[in-house]
Amino acid sequence: MIQVRNLTKHFGPNIAVDNLSFEVQAGRVTGFLGPNGAGKTTTLRMILGLIRPEKGTATVDGVTYQGLRAPMREVGAVLDAKAYQPGRKARDHLLALAQASRIPVKRVDEVLGFVGLSDVANRRAGNFSLGMAQRLGIAGALLGDPPVLIFDEPVNGLDPEGIVWIRTLMQGLAAQGRTVFVSSHLMSEMALTASHVIVIGRGHMIADSEVEDLIKRNSGIVVRLRTPKAEVVVPRLVAAGGKIQTGGNGEDDGAIVVTGLEAAAIGDIAFQAGVPVHELSPVEASLEDVFMELTRDDVEFHGTAAGAVQ
Amino acid sequence: MTQVPTQTIAKSGFPELGPPGLLDTMRSEWTKLKTLRSTLVTLAIAAVLVIGLSALLSLVIAANQSSETKHGSHPTALSGFQGGWGIGGLAFMVLGVLAISNEYSSGLIGVSLLATPKRARLLIAKVLVFSVSMFVVAEVMSFIDFFICHAIISAYPSFPNVSLTTHLVLRVVIGMGIFVTLVGLLGLGTGALLRNTAGSIVACVAFIFVLPGILSALPDSWSNPIGEYWPTAAGERLTELAHGPNTLSAWWGAAEFTLFIAVLLLLAGYALSKRNA
Repeated sequence: MIQVRNLTKHFGPNIAVDNLSFEVQAGRVTGFLGPNGAGKTTTLRMILGLIRPEKGTATVDGVTYQGLRAPMREVGAVLDAKAYQPGRKARDHLLALAQASRIPVKRVDEVLGFVGLSDVANRRAGNFSLGMAQRLGIAGALLGDPPVLIFDEPVNGLDPEGIVWIRTLMQGLAAQGRTVFVSSHLMSEMALTASHVIVIGRGHMIADSEVEDLIKRNSGIVVRLRTPKAEVVVPRLVAAGGKIQTGGNGEDDGAIVVTGLEAAAIGDIAFQAGVPVHELSPVEASLEDVFMELTRDDVEFHGTAAGAVQ
Repeated sequence: MTQVPTQTIAKSGFPELGPPGLLDTMRSEWTKLKTLRSTLVTLAIAAVLVIGLSALLSLVIAANQSSETKHGSHPTALSGFQGGWGIGGLAFMVLGVLAISNEYSSGLIGVSLLATPKRARLLIAKVLVFSVSMFVVAEVMSFIDFFICHAIISAYPSFPNVSLTTHLVLRVVIGMGIFVTLVGLLGLGTGALLRNTAGSIVACVAFIFVLPGILSALPDSWSNPIGEYWPTAAGERLTELAHGPNTLSAWWGAAEFTLFIAVLLLLAGYALSKRNA
């Protein structure tokens, strides 16, 4: 189990991690979500003892990373897939890591086989594609057979086959009772991989929840309404407390997206106004939508186009 | 907390094995050093250049039999030997810089620190493995170089016969290996402090060659003692046969250079343990 308490870190005047506290449980995949620049990597590096927190603590099973007796046998991590010297053979890279952690040498060939790199074990890692580099990084993380695994953006730059492989791998590791903590800025990916998510923005906690609960709690009520007489019904919906998201003009199909009113209430209002309704459907929010909604105020750099839609 | 399957909580890997220590880190550093082709290539090039240059200088000296060195002493087998090693010192310095700066440029340092979060241990292991292996290589190179120079010069009977048993010659040949190993450690300490290959090499070159040159522009009463006690100059006494009446003795010079490098490495270790990686 990973425990983070009141973790705080500034870089110059900018706050990178702002009094963050959470726990990552064993036996499931926990996603660590946030827009770029939210402080995910900084948090992971503090957990792994690479960056010193200003305030607060990060521990693994109650011990700081630097205090672990055999770190790579307790925690496996991939922060940067290409963190190896390009002139060295893949096998030698893993051999050096195994020796530093007093891990049996035969384990090197085991993990190489496990990640599917046996055939290129004696090739210089500098020639590896990003997908192979990710596999080599994961092989390093698995060397010590650790109960806790941390991956920073593991699917970045992978082809679909590689993404499926990593997803299956992470879920398999969690099923073995390991703690699996995966950062990503891709909600859709985490929706498929993680059962629990921690969402941060600008360094502070936004949500710490089961994926399903998060969607249920934050999606609100969103209803699509299509009618030829929008100008009649829209003022009545607003008067009843509804919010019109797309204004009834931007969408190609003429649909109005209404929030804050149940579909039944919208139907009643339209009926009372004598307006024909062509479509009236509740919209199920995806984790992506929830994420966008949650982090809207916390993304570092807004695109102007995205701002204009609101 | 929801449905955590508590029936299986994974345990630490390889619980039957003890925690890793300094020896394990050293084993890992040895693997890193010998499996990097650039290390081996640099050493091979250094050996070819040093020995080739020494042999060439010896041939030139031998062909120019009547010549005397500018100090008035007769050239010997050591003249060519010493002349070839200037480039050797540079090569060992670069190897020392690369031994650590390469980890920063590739990002490997992050992984190394995950395996060995006790940063002082990582640096100590690196320094021990580097100095022992470079010392062995440098001594082998030094002896081979001397024997080649000796063979060339001793073909000319008009030269003073200098062999390993001649007074102080053995000290010069062994001293050369010690000196370039120390220069390599100078590179390693600088690389650990600056974390950047080009910057560290420039800093070392400035320290070894440029700064002493600038200092020599000062009045003699200043530049003489500074030049004499400049760490690399002091260390270089080990590689010279004779020294003037005012200069440091070979072993005191070596001791000063070693002390300087020890302080540099302590600083590097302090910086490594304090800085974010």
